[in-house]
Formats: sequence, structure tokens, C-alpha cells
Amino acid sequence: MATAAANYSGRRGVSASLRIAVLQFMADPQWLIPSMIAPVIFGLVSFELFRGYGGPYYLIYAILGAGMMSMWGQTLYGSGWATGQDRVFGTLEPTIQAPTPYLYVILGRVLWNVVSGLIGGLIVYVVVVAAAGSLPAVTDPVGFAVLFVFVMLTLAAVGVVFAAFYVYTRYAGFIQNIGEFAFYVGTGCMFPVVILPFFAWPASLFFPPTWALDALRYLAIPGYQGFGWGFWWDLVGAVATTTVYLTIAGTVFHRVERHVLEEGNLSDY
Amino acid sequence: MSSSPAIETIGLRRVFDTRKGFLFREVTHTEALRGVDLVVERGSIFGLLGPNGAGKTTLTKILSTLLAPSDGKALVLGHDVMKETAWLRPRIGLVLGGERGLYNRISGRENLRYFADLYGVPAAERDRRIQAVLERVDLVWAADRRVEEYSRGMKQKLHIARGILHRPQMLFLDEPTIGLDPKSARETRKLVRSLVTDGVTIFLTTHYMFEAEELCPQIAVLSKGRIVARDTVDGLRKLVGGDRTLEAEAYGFEDREVEALRRLPGVSKVASEEYGPSMRLTMRVRTLETTPADVTRCLPGHPELSVRERRTSLEDVYLDLVEEEAR
Repeated sequence: MATAAANYSGRRGVSASLRIAVLQFMADPQWLIPSMIAPVIFGLVSFELFRGYGGPYYLIYAILGAGMMSMWGQTLYGSGWATGQDRVFGTLEPTIQAPTPYLYVILGRVLWNVVSGLIGGLIVYVVVVAAAGSLPAVTDPVGFAVLFVFVMLTLAAVGVVFAAFYVYTRYAGFIQNIGEFAFYVGTGCMFPVVILPFFAWPASLFFPPTWALDALRYLAIPGYQGFGWGFWWDLVGAVATTTVYLTIAGTVFHRVERHVLEEGNLSDY
Repeated sequence: MSSSPAIETIGLRRVFDTRKGFLFREVTHTEALRGVDLVVERGSIFGLLGPNGAGKTTLTKILSTLLAPSDGKALVLGHDVMKETAWLRPRIGLVLGGERGLYNRISGRENLRYFADLYGVPAAERDRRIQAVLERVDLVWAADRRVEEYSRGMKQKLHIARGILHRPQMLFLDEPTIGLDPKSARETRKLVRSLVTDGVTIFLTTHYMFEAEELCPQIAVLSKGRIVARDTVDGLRKLVGGDRTLEAEAYGFEDREVEALRRLPGVSKVASEEYGPSMRLTMRVRTLETTPADVTRCLPGHPELSVRERRTSLEDVYLDLVEEEAR
């Protein structure tokens, strides 16, 4: 009897995980709320907020604010939440027992969450543009779009690290609930970090999306000040911190897996 | 094929720490395995019997790389379960069974497709292999239904299909027929038997005696985290004092009568228990010398006495061993 000894690969693991994430999404109508309905509401609220603020670029602020609001949670926590679900379903044990490292399963889910987050962002864009009756003034639309996807990837990098918590402990949801809104404000999803108190900056700078979002605003809004060190340094900061997070994820997962085998809590939920 | 045993454990221990409280942490230590030494040869079904909480699932999870031992060593197919997990995982299958462990909102076939990819079933063969295992567990007709529509028995079949999908050399089955109706349980046992003919070594835990007796040429009894016996069913019968069992039933016996029975040739053990309004004496007998008639002669003055002889069952053996360990 031939065994499937050496045929598993990270690529197959990622694509299998992506496929199952899509199938689960399609099978569960409750996902319509965060991914389809919430962006419409966020878009309208954000539009009303920033319309009062006015200025030539209020539409960009409205789109970025609501777009990030609808995307960040899904991208950041979606993969971790799915791992929590694995605990509940009892599928974490057979998945960990499979030869494909669990990190690849997480990456597949992250990929889907990025895609569904982008769909949410697109919905926000359409809603805000429809509400305003005009297109936003973006100085570099192509760069903006590319950087927008990059922002999602920086969120995903943090999400992979967060997902490790869900493998580590069944109480990860508790950690998420504590950090959720602090993280949202701290990374400047809705408002630029520069309007936060100075003492909050160091913590904000530790997260890749802070840098990427600041870079995005530099690109979209002429005269934007941000941290004051400019677009390129923001980009360097975003790439550097993302690399740090991905490196952490690579090593953390190996250790987390070892830890849960020692604790024996894979089937707890 | 390698000559190393399918399973070898040396002094295997596992302690679970349970923590309670937030400010004042209280840690409870539970020793689930207390020095398990076990060798299982390749190419057959090995049965592990034990009461609830004996450590069967803990041992299965350690051997299938899902749990780290606290102490000792475990080798599966000649490879260390903690140091060589990457080598082992594609070569072993695990069926934990039960209601959990599957994605309920998607179909059985999609569940198998997912795990086939994670287990590295060759891409070109994947769908054909899935169809083959579905046919083998008789689940083709429901393969495209959502798992949440499956009965307990169907879920169990799907668990087994997932366990054999990647053609493991070693399969761990943790109580595969628990909760199944008699027909499904029989089908599952038939399937398990057929796997051995494919060259798979099976490590099966159960607390159904007839199942172990029917399937397993070699059996170990685990009690309170220790292997208390390991042999063939006949070997175990001898171990507990004979393959013949005599039972005497009447409205009460005196101590001197029980002593008289103990002195009969070949009688290794006499145990008494209340049995409804009457009392039952159970004797394990090693030889053919002592007959029911001898027992009747030792128990005069009991007009209602009934004596019968039967073969010592695995359940008798199991209960003797577990009770002895409890003492």
C-alpha cells in the first residue's frame, strides 16, 4: 500500500484551506452581515461624518475610514476566529495531525479574508460614491489601489500572528475582545494616528498597518502631513514591520504547536 | 518492510495539569499514563481495553503525534513520535470518531478533499481515491450531502474514510463503534478487518469485549494508566485463572462452603456477588478435573441451587484484571 508520504506541500495546503474557507463562507448565510451589509452601513455613517468635516478630500477620508472599518476586523481576526471554530468543531486535532504545517492552513484562510475584505472595501467605495454623487479626487489612482491591497496584506501579517493565539489557547477570543478597538484606533484605521496623544504613538508604530495606512493617505491626499517623515519612509516602515510579523509568525507557529502538544488542549473549546 | 515493531513504548508517562481560578491559581495534576511499556508487532489488529479514564485516548493521542508524553519514549514504525513527526504523520491515520471532528456545513466529499490535500494524497489520484474510500465505507450515496445531515453512523464512516484516505501504514482507531447501532457497528468491524488484509497495522481501543475478542489477536488491558496484562484472548484467560468458568446460584452461601469450593482441584478463584434475590459464586477453573457435579456436592442443603459451566469470556478476564488493579 503506497503512502502519501512526500506529496504534501505548502501550496496545496494553502489552496485547500482557501477552498474550504470559501465553501464555509458560502454555506453560512450569517457571513452576509459582516461582509456585505456592514460595509454599506459603515460607508453611509462615514460619509455623513466626514461630510460635516468638509474639505476637498473628505470623500477619501470617508472611503478610507469606512473601508478600513469593514476590512480590518475580517482580515485581522478572521483567520484566528476560524481557528477558534476549528476548536469548536473538533477539526483542529485532525488538521494539526495532518502532515501539512498548520501555518499553511492559516495562510489559506488569510488569503480568503483578504479577498473578502477587499470586496467589503469595494462595497464601501460604491456606497460612498453613490451617496456623494461624485468620484473622490485621488492623485494617483493606480498607486492608491496597489497600496490599498498592501494595507490589507499588512493587516493579514498581524492576523497570522493573532491566529497563533487561537491555536495556543481556547481563551484567545478574550484577548481579541480586549485588543479589538484599541487596535482599530491605534493603527489609524478611521483617523490618522497623528491626532492621537503622543504617548500612543510608540505602540501604534509597532503595527504594520499604521505605517501602510499613513503611506496610503500621503498618496491619496495632497498636503497630508501624517508623521511628517514622508511617503517613502512610511513604506519602508510598513515593509519592515510586516517582515518582522511574518518572521514572528513562522517561528511562533512551530513553538505554539509544540506547546499545545505538551498542554494537550487541542480539543478544548 | 522494516523489522521494527509497529509500536514500542518505554516507560511512557503523561501528566495533565488542570488549572482553576484567576487570582489564586490552583493546579491539579492527573497522571493519565503511569509508565506504559508496550510492543505491538506489525500487520495485525492490536486491541487496547480499559475502563473509562484508563488512559486509552491519551495513549492513542501520544502515539498519533497529537500529545507529548511527560516522560518515557514512544516509537511508531520505528520513529520517535515527538522528534520525527514530519516523517510519521503521512504514514499514520487517526480516527477519533464521534460527533465532532468534521466540517458540518460542507459535504462529506469536500471534507475528504480538504484532508486529502493536507495529507498529500497525489493530486492526480485524489478524486479517484476519495471515490474509492467512499465506496469502501458505503457512503457514496450521501457523499455530496452536508455532514450535518449525517447520522452518527454515517459520520463514523466518514471519520474512517478520512483516516484511510492517505493509505497509512498504521491506523489508530479510538472506540470506532461507540454509539453505533448494531448494524453499523458490524459493518465497521468488517471494514476494520478488511484493512488488515491491505497490510495496515491497526491499534484499536475499545471497551466492547466482544469487539476486541472478534477482531484482535493480541490484547492489552490498560487500567489506571498502566498495562495490567497483554496476551492473546486465550492467554489472558489463563492469566486470570482458567478458561473454564463455573457459576453456582442459590439463596446465600456460607463461608465454609466457599472455602470448600476453593479447595477443589484446578479452582483458581472464587468470587461472590449478589444476583437479584440470590447469590452467585463464580469460579475460574484451570483444569477439567472439577465439574459442575463436584460443585453441587460441595454445596449441599440448597434445593434451589443451579450450577452451570461456560467458557471464560474476555469480559470475565477484563473485569478480573481491572478489579484486581483497583484493589
